[in-house]
Amino acid sequence: MGEADDDRFDRARRIGWLDIGAVFRAKILMIGAGALGNEVAKDLALSGFGKITVVDMDRVVASNLSRCLFFDAKDADDRRPKSEAICEGVRRLSPQADPVGIVSKIEDCGDSLFADNDVILGCLDNVNARVHANAHSYHVGRPYIDGGMEGFIGKVMVSLPPDGACLQCGMNRSHAKIAEMRFSCTGRDVVFHEPPTPAEITTTSVISAVIVREALKIVSGRKDMLLRNAVYYDGQRNVCEEFEVDLNPECPVHGPR
Amino acid sequence: MAVRIKVKNAETGATVEMELEQENTVDEVIESAATFWSKDMGAYVLRKGKKVLRGGTSLKDAGVRPEDVLELIPDPEGG
Repeated sequence: MGEADDDRFDRARRIGWLDIGAVFRAKILMIGAGALGNEVAKDLALSGFGKITVVDMDRVVASNLSRCLFFDAKDADDRRPKSEAICEGVRRLSPQADPVGIVSKIEDCGDSLFADNDVILGCLDNVNARVHANAHSYHVGRPYIDGGMEGFIGKVMVSLPPDGACLQCGMNRSHAKIAEMRFSCTGRDVVFHEPPTPAEITTTSVISAVIVREALKIVSGRKDMLLRNAVYYDGQRNVCEEFEVDLNPECPVHGPR
Repeated sequence: MAVRIKVKNAETGATVEMELEQENTVDEVIESAATFWSKDMGAYVLRKGKKVLRGGTSLKDAGVRPEDVLELIPDPEGG
């Protein structure tokens, strides 16, 4: 066995543009610790990210277990906070990681949380929280990568202030109408929306991989390779396309502060 | 001036013809198509080619022309 096999990140170091040192140093804020949050946290940990803050107000229930790597039946019995369970899982995968869990709605966290991190990842289940995360990231100049999914359909959008469109630029009246709803796959804990959203793990895996891949580009300083629009994925039709979202001059995020 | 377009349902591949005024907005097309197909309450976007059309924009300003085919796509909000 040579030195190459002793280095946990040897294979990643062989990707020329990937800056593993920058990955180790980067501070990541992950908002949402559901199915998408589990997969994103797994990819972050295995990619070498260690300074991860996880924000989620929910607790584990049994219906999470088909899609959530870091939750088990005891977590569901104990109604363990999701952010806490994910942090423990991240430590298990990556002993040098130092994740921090916050049991809260993102809207109740201080604004400094956004400024204190280098990249913000949205793994959320409702429009209001997405709008909040997008706007606060934009206003402190932090890249915001948002993922969403329903059944076999998913989407990822990268907002990179001060350039280009943000997540809210691509929203319309149909988003405003459902802003208060939570499209959670959790089921019985859903407060505002029934029935629960269809969800399955393969789409979650695809969408989470795109989110973390884009984060790796950002921290490695390769914005030239970055997804600058939205990626739509439809696993039923075997389609993955990049769509253009233009900056909307009437978007409140881009208006006077 | 009236403009006749087709809207395609991305989930099923079905299409519907709509006759609209150029002053109609993208939001109105989204709502009409979603109602026609009895879509679940949710977020949708309308695209022309690769471009996602802005909700409050009129069809004229969005560059929608007669016989265009627009696609109604669900914007997934689950996590």
